[in-house]
Amino acid sequence: MSAAVAPVTPLAVAGTTTRLRAAGPADSREALVFVHGNPGSADDWGALVAAVGASGRRAVAFDLPDFGEAIAPPGFVHSVDGYARFLAAALDALGIERVHLVLHDFGGPIGLTWLAAHVDQVVSVTLIDTGAMEGYRWHRLARIWRTPVLGELFQAMTTRRGFQLTINRGEPRGLPADFLDTTWSHIDKRTKRAILKLYRATDDPGRGVAELAALLAPRELPALVIWGEHDIYLSSAMADRQRDILPLADVHVLPASGHWPFADAPETVERLLLEHLDGAWPVGAEADAGEAADATTQANAGGAGAGTPSAT
Amino acid sequence: MGVTAAGTSQRSATRSDRSEEFDAVIVGASLAGSAAAVKLGRAGARVALVEQRPDPAAYKQVCSHYVQASAVPTLERLGLLQPALDAGAVRSNLRIWTGFGEIVPPHDRTTPGLNLRRELLDPLLRDAALNTPGVEARLGLTAVALERDGGARVRGVVARDRSGAERLLRARLVVGADGRGSRIAKLAGVATKTTPHGRIAYGGYFEGADLPHAPDAKIWMLDPQWAAAFPTDAGLTFYAAMPTKAWLPRFKRDPEAALVAFLRDLPDPPPIEHGRLVGEIKGKVDMTNVEHEPIAAGLALVGDAALATDPLWGIGCGWALQQAEWLGDAVGDALAAGPRGGRGARRRPRPLPPPLAPRAARPSARDRRSRERPASERRRALRLLRGCPRRPPRGADGRLRLASDQPQPLSRDGRAAGGLRARA
Repeated sequence: MSAAVAPVTPLAVAGTTTRLRAAGPADSREALVFVHGNPGSADDWGALVAAVGASGRRAVAFDLPDFGEAIAPPGFVHSVDGYARFLAAALDALGIERVHLVLHDFGGPIGLTWLAAHVDQVVSVTLIDTGAMEGYRWHRLARIWRTPVLGELFQAMTTRRGFQLTINRGEPRGLPADFLDTTWSHIDKRTKRAILKLYRATDDPGRGVAELAALLAPRELPALVIWGEHDIYLSSAMADRQRDILPLADVHVLPASGHWPFADAPETVERLLLEHLDGAWPVGAEADAGEAADATTQANAGGAGAGTPSAT
Repeated sequence: MGVTAAGTSQRSATRSDRSEEFDAVIVGASLAGSAAAVKLGRAGARVALVEQRPDPAAYKQVCSHYVQASAVPTLERLGLLQPALDAGAVRSNLRIWTGFGEIVPPHDRTTPGLNLRRELLDPLLRDAALNTPGVEARLGLTAVALERDGGARVRGVVARDRSGAERLLRARLVVGADGRGSRIAKLAGVATKTTPHGRIAYGGYFEGADLPHAPDAKIWMLDPQWAAAFPTDAGLTFYAAMPTKAWLPRFKRDPEAALVAFLRDLPDPPPIEHGRLVGEIKGKVDMTNVEHEPIAAGLALVGDAALATDPLWGIGCGWALQQAEWLGDAVGDALAAGPRGGRGARRRPRPLPPPLAPRAARPSARDRRSRERPASERRRALRLLRGCPRRPPRGADGRLRLASDQPQPLSRDGRAAGGLRARA
């Protein structure tokens, strides 16, 4: 497993500045785009961005407004549509035209909403404990948050210890301490309010699945679905259902993982992602496991711009 | 020749020509049946060993064939430990992956189990039985009815050969060793308890995928999923998964791909991607647990026929061997002494290990010594239990720390703490 973590650089987009973690050829117009969920940030993806970059492909991850350290611009609408518009603006700012989506948690509805409006730009889709959620019932915490007064109270009572106990509940092996610390460090008043607004604005997370299936299924995009078997928020029974929108999906339910498999099973997620990319985004001659591919062959993959790979 | 609903048969002129008399008739020549035949034959009894399959080299197809450590002395007493090792059997401890850390048995304090493919193990047992004086083979015969006397005591077995001809094998003891779906148990009408089993099982032999700690085996307790790797003879490793039934469609579609993906996605995965499948992937979809009342007048059940539990514990082979040995020890002398000698024969039952001895039995001096631990040791054990943290400690990486990772604290007299060592 790669030990490197892609470093942070600032990115100006949609009237604010966000944190960007990127690796691989910076001028490539094809890229893996990671979209975090709640309560995530670009830090969820540091190791995976570096691993993908080391394989010779461009990868990017950034904080969504009011998550991580990014502050939402004035007038920002904290809804799935609002975040999808931000995603579109970020991709424009990064010069990315061909997209391999990697979505987690609320990044699922956000990314799939963006996809519905930009489907011709999508080359492959990776879903991690998220996706089309037909018939989904809000999990217990979210039900509390959707009730106005109770929700605010609940959030205000959350302490570091309370947060760590809550987020670890049901996690079969416990989440790593550094992941817990990093995630907690980004939760401030803005994040909490954003989470509340986001949940309240999302009336029905299962909306639009039929339309999405009609749009996406015939394209038979290469797809990977990873789900922690012990996810208490989104049942792993939904993993196989993602074939409704992605019929070719390679589905992996990880038997000792919860809602954050990239944190509790990082080697497995990295291996599955890179194997998925070997099929969805071949970069020339087969590389040995763990060695970077030659960047000059990247031109063959359909993305423009040759250049030496730099794990930035 | 009529067969009543209870499976008893009416005598007929044809059958009385073809009846034979034995001390014991054992139905089923797999591990339990063959081991029982060896034991009873050695005690001096005349034994008929009846087996449906005509091939003396027949063997059970789907099995992880891990013989638990407790059954290795049994194999040795049967004279088969060295032959098993000569055939390539490996001595194998068992590691267990759990969400709290990996359980690694200390080699200096544990007896390893044994692993040998059924292809080699079954003929080993069966040949030993057939070569035991007093044991007569009746291969290719299927039991179809039980013979009872007026008092409903079982007195024999009616068996049918391939040509359809039936013969009666009379005996003072009928031993049902015919597996999980025991027909003898059904014919006898003994009390039965079944428990549904929520898993499927798929496995296969791989070469070139040796575990780093081979020959030690490993099982992954994933709650609810399960996987295992058993190094065995001929440089092979038996890899198996026992996922919940929700996984059946995927395994049915492509068993090998599904098994390999399942193993690769394990935490601390085995090196299966370097392996090559030898033979076919075998699967079992129904593994209902079956418990039969193992004793009735004139009848005993051994092995899976008595108790077929969840295969994921890997105890089936050891259970078959040990239970057959207990049966042999309990009744061998009485059977050999003949019908008249039965009552007066001196019985020398093997003393069972203390936890299994019936409460009423008088414990031996050795049992008393091991049971009465000094008060100081009892108090130390209580202190250890009370001192266990409610939430196990975690290391810097957030993973749980095992007590075995830390040096053992010494007690006041300088010995390692912990009165919980296994009895030597």
